[in-house]
Amino acid sequence: MGKRLVTRTPTTFTFATAQYESGDWDSAPLVPPNIIDTIARYTEIAVTPAGVIVSLASPDLLRYPLVYLTGHLPVRFSDAERRQLREFLDRGGMLFVDDHNHDVDGVFHKTATEEITRTIGEPKMLPNTHPLYSAFFKFDEGPPTTSHELNGWGDNLVHKNLFAVMREARIAVLYSSKDYSSEWGYHPDSKRFQSVDNTKFAVNIVVYALTA
Amino acid sequence: MLELAARCGALVLLAFMIVRSAAPRDSAVVRERTDSRALDAALNAWTLAPEPTSVHVTAAFAPAQKEREWLRALARAGVRVSWSGDSLPATAIEVAARADPAGGVRAYVAASSGSGAMLSDAVGLIDTLDITRGANVLALRVTAGALDLRVGDQHARAFAPDSLLPRQVVVLGRAGWEGKFAMAALEERGWKVSSRLRVGPNVFVTEGAPLALDTARTAAVIALDSSAASYASAIARFERSGGGVVLAGDAPQAPALRALAPGRAGTRIAAASLSFAGSTPRRALGFYPVVGLAGDAVPLESRDGYTIAAARRVGAGRVVQLGYDDTWRWRLAGTGDAPGAHRDYWSSVVSAAAYRATKPVEGASRLGDAAPLALLYADLGAPGTPLAAALQGAPGLRWWMFVALALPLLSEWASRRLRGAR
Repeated sequence: MGKRLVTRTPTTFTFATAQYESGDWDSAPLVPPNIIDTIARYTEIAVTPAGVIVSLASPDLLRYPLVYLTGHLPVRFSDAERRQLREFLDRGGMLFVDDHNHDVDGVFHKTATEEITRTIGEPKMLPNTHPLYSAFFKFDEGPPTTSHELNGWGDNLVHKNLFAVMREARIAVLYSSKDYSSEWGYHPDSKRFQSVDNTKFAVNIVVYALTA
Repeated sequence: MLELAARCGALVLLAFMIVRSAAPRDSAVVRERTDSRALDAALNAWTLAPEPTSVHVTAAFAPAQKEREWLRALARAGVRVSWSGDSLPATAIEVAARADPAGGVRAYVAASSGSGAMLSDAVGLIDTLDITRGANVLALRVTAGALDLRVGDQHARAFAPDSLLPRQVVVLGRAGWEGKFAMAALEERGWKVSSRLRVGPNVFVTEGAPLALDTARTAAVIALDSSAASYASAIARFERSGGGVVLAGDAPQAPALRALAPGRAGTRIAAASLSFAGSTPRRALGFYPVVGLAGDAVPLESRDGYTIAAARRVGAGRVVQLGYDDTWRWRLAGTGDAPGAHRDYWSSVVSAAAYRATKPVEGASRLGDAAPLALLYADLGAPGTPLAAALQGAPGLRWWMFVALALPLLSEWASRRLRGAR
């Protein structure tokens, strides 16, 4: 069952992290507060001050139309998780999956993409002209590069594109190999030490989910 | 003397016959009927010689338009036309295209309260109806040809007189799940949706042409919340020119939109249920009750003593106030085909307000009698008494008159011949 951390009103945006039975779903605990801080900092979107954790197998998944999923370890969905996730996506939910390994040869990437393909379809390359990249901030060259890509960690590649499974013209699953989970995994207070806020792309993901 | 009497008698009889033949004819050929098939044949006979002076129709059901026009033509030609029909049921049907891209029609049917009716189209029977309080309204997604309402032997028939021209729906408000899923529902239903959603100070996510608030391009505008107040003057102008407006959630709390609203948005009421299961899934939604309803407002949805949706006309347009602000939860977490029900609901809300840009369907008005009894009164007047008994045996030129005329003339001629006179 999902764990409600705070009381909220139905009209506010609540950042939800997916909990799944296999793997290390909680490998990036600082990402939710950092993104919530960013949303509150740049937008007028009413946002719940703390995120929630929701099980992929729980009907509570249907209460959070945008869900973030990450990890380093192999991902194997149970039948219940797969069934619930499929219903969530069919009804208009959006799943943002980020490979915390930044490694296309890594176990998370291989197993997660397999599971996504089994559940809803194969992720395809998302063109860098997609409205996602102009939903709030402009990212003319597509998804912003992460320091982990530039430092040569993981697969030592700079991934030029994100991948997505589409439903009609809408993104149902957004898949990233860029390791935003590491890039955004710091305490929001540390943002003031950065010359450029590297969490801005998270605003685009949330605004896109809320408006597309 | 006898000859003079016979001649005078013949002249008197001849004068009588001349006067009688010059007088209006009142010798009648009377026909009575019990069904339209007999009337059709009778009309053929009445139109051919000998032309009747008076006809009467005893109707078990109202004659069709062609038969009524024929009777009117006979009346114009001098034939006295009357009708009677004590058991004729008063029925009426009106059909209008629904303001919904999925198509379909809305049928308004009327008959005597408590009567049973059958509604069918060109394909066959659609439904049977128990007419309550004289009238029923049905929303039909698919129909073929004209709709036929039958009560007893009486048929009322109508066809949607126009087809809808597509117009967009504009969504204005803050970015949020309600706007996203309302737009998704409408788009999935076939509506073209434009939106302008506020995400930050002077930052909007815009799709399509949301500021084209005129009836040439837009059927309805949805104000999701009170942030739409910044468009209030454009919304009011659009509404007064015939456009539809949906004020959702707390939108009517904005002073600029309050003048349009059917009521005020009260304090938000929490959901009455935690479950979407059951026949009233919207019990699991919170809402702003519509309070202080305007005198001309009509409640559309009520629950537990609260009015949740209401509508009113302002100017040439219509405004629907919808208290819900989180119907997206119904779509996501509802049981069964909740997305489909959510789609239907939002489309019906928009349809209730939307401007209907229409194009007439050629010839639709000739396809049947929408209110046959009313048309019978309009064409032939009020029912009259049967004329048959009164007109039977009425005087006219008869064969014995010629015999009576010939007899004195022959008598005079014979008398003159017998006495040798010429």
